[in-house]
Amino acid sequence: MSQRPTPLTVLAVCGLGMGTSLILRMTCETVFARLGIDARVDNTDLSAAKGQSPDVLVGQGMHMADLEGVATVNVVVDDFVDDAALEARLRPALAEAGWL
Amino acid sequence: MAVSTVPTRAVHVAAVPDWTAAVRVAGDLLVDLGVATADYVTACVDSVHERGPYIVLAPGLALAHARPEQGATGVGVAVARLGEPVVFGHPANDPVDLVLAFATDAPEGHLDMLRALATALGGGLAARLRAADGPAELDALLTGAVAGA
Repeated sequence: MSQRPTPLTVLAVCGLGMGTSLILRMTCETVFARLGIDARVDNTDLSAAKGQSPDVLVGQGMHMADLEGVATVNVVVDDFVDDAALEARLRPALAEAGWL
Repeated sequence: MAVSTVPTRAVHVAAVPDWTAAVRVAGDLLVDLGVATADYVTACVDSVHERGPYIVLAPGLALAHARPEQGATGVGVAVARLGEPVVFGHPANDPVDLVLAFATDAPEGHLDMLRALATALGGGLAARLRAADGPAELDALLTGAVAGA
């Protein structure tokens, strides 16, 4: 367990980095605000994500194998617009890292 | 400063052969709107071939798009509702009966539009689109969703 970084850096990832991941980024911002966690959320495409080192990476399962080791915490999400579903996936992942 | 409105277009089609046809139906609406070229529509399809069906971002809903430099000539958004859903090959969100498509001719030109769209989708836009009576109501819902963007 480590202390949660402030702000927590979060990267929303999709194939092209401008549409789907932008929508996911907005859903992430909603959830982190609700959790009261200071987070800086960005969005990018799959290849650019490999060159970054965010604390939390959020994306679809089909992309996660390519992104192994990029972030401390990986969260797979199926529904990019359902903030309740995203929160349900984020909570245990953040708790496991000692960041909740 | 003039108030900008994002042009929209909507259609309901009873059935299409496959997901590529579904993306083309939605993309062609952007061409009709004058915000994308035929090349842009092809790029929307190719993007899924190259990168996978990640554009299926919620159950039953896909968001087709390509890069601005691939033939976008303006900002606009469209929706094609399918009477018979199609399979994109997405592990969780298939089959798809709503294909949204957008174009933007500037890298940052779509941010407000997508922000509005994301908020609307989070607030149940997909269910309202599915319940809509026909193209006119579909279009009105979409226009309302991105209004003020």
